[in-house]
Amino acid sequence: MDELPPAPAVAGTSLDGTKLFTISAEENAALCRSTGVEPAADGSAHPIYYYIATQVAMGKTVAGVCETCEFDVEDGPMMGSSGVRFNAPLMVGESYKVTGEILSLVRKLSRKLGVMDVLTYRLRLHPAAGGDALLETDNVWVLPRKELAA
Amino acid sequence: MSISIGDALPPFVIPSASPDAMKHWAVFLADPNPIHLDVEVVKAKGLGDKRINQGPMNVAFMMNMLMAAFPGCRIEAMDSRFLDNVYEGDHLTASGTVTAVDGNRVSCECKLDVAGRGTVNSGTATLII
Repeated sequence: MDELPPAPAVAGTSLDGTKLFTISAEENAALCRSTGVEPAADGSAHPIYYYIATQVAMGKTVAGVCETCEFDVEDGPMMGSSGVRFNAPLMVGESYKVTGEILSLVRKLSRKLGVMDVLTYRLRLHPAAGGDALLETDNVWVLPRKELAA
Repeated sequence: MSISIGDALPPFVIPSASPDAMKHWAVFLADPNPIHLDVEVVKAKGLGDKRINQGPMNVAFMMNMLMAAFPGCRIEAMDSRFLDNVYEGDHLTASGTVTAVDGNRVSCECKLDVAGRGTVNSGTATLII
């Protein structure tokens, strides 16, 4: 097989957000109930807000991240994995901001998917007023490159 | 509470993955991807004939299982792998096993299974109890 063209060089692209994300009591309650549980009584938000808050308040939309990777979001990016390390729980009523960056975009040949790019990006959630990150998350997406199929 | 390596955690069951929940999560995630909302789009993309759950909701189910197993715990770290889709109507079971205990820190393996199809998410978590 001919050598694959390289993936776009996007490592280091900033994903710093410009807007704040506030976890409202109403939305947290609706989210908890949509997953079959009641909201916590101690004011903590559902921990899945690690993903929601960082995705919604990062500096690019999912489609925008894909575009940076020269990938059309309509071609179906797939979640590969998601990891998070919390330094503190997220709280209802608090506002947060996001910093982050693309770590890598690696082109691979998959027996199942053909040519694909594996995107890894890191996001951190900080108090709106600034300070150390309350959490750090690494997400991995698989971007199938149909146009490079043999 | 006595916790030992190998302990199985009580399962958390979702009787039927809900299209209404998918509508709500499209708003929570600010993600209008129609594969979560419109069966015709799912069909057109060759992805099946049912709406597809948002991946983070599947992680939330595993978190619910962990938090129910250890009331009052805090999730310190969690890693999840997305192995397959969850479709509307799927019967889901989140389950886990204790893999390490170090003082008030408990490590677990966890997974989300679809009845009749097997594991669709798997992961590890560390909890402070």
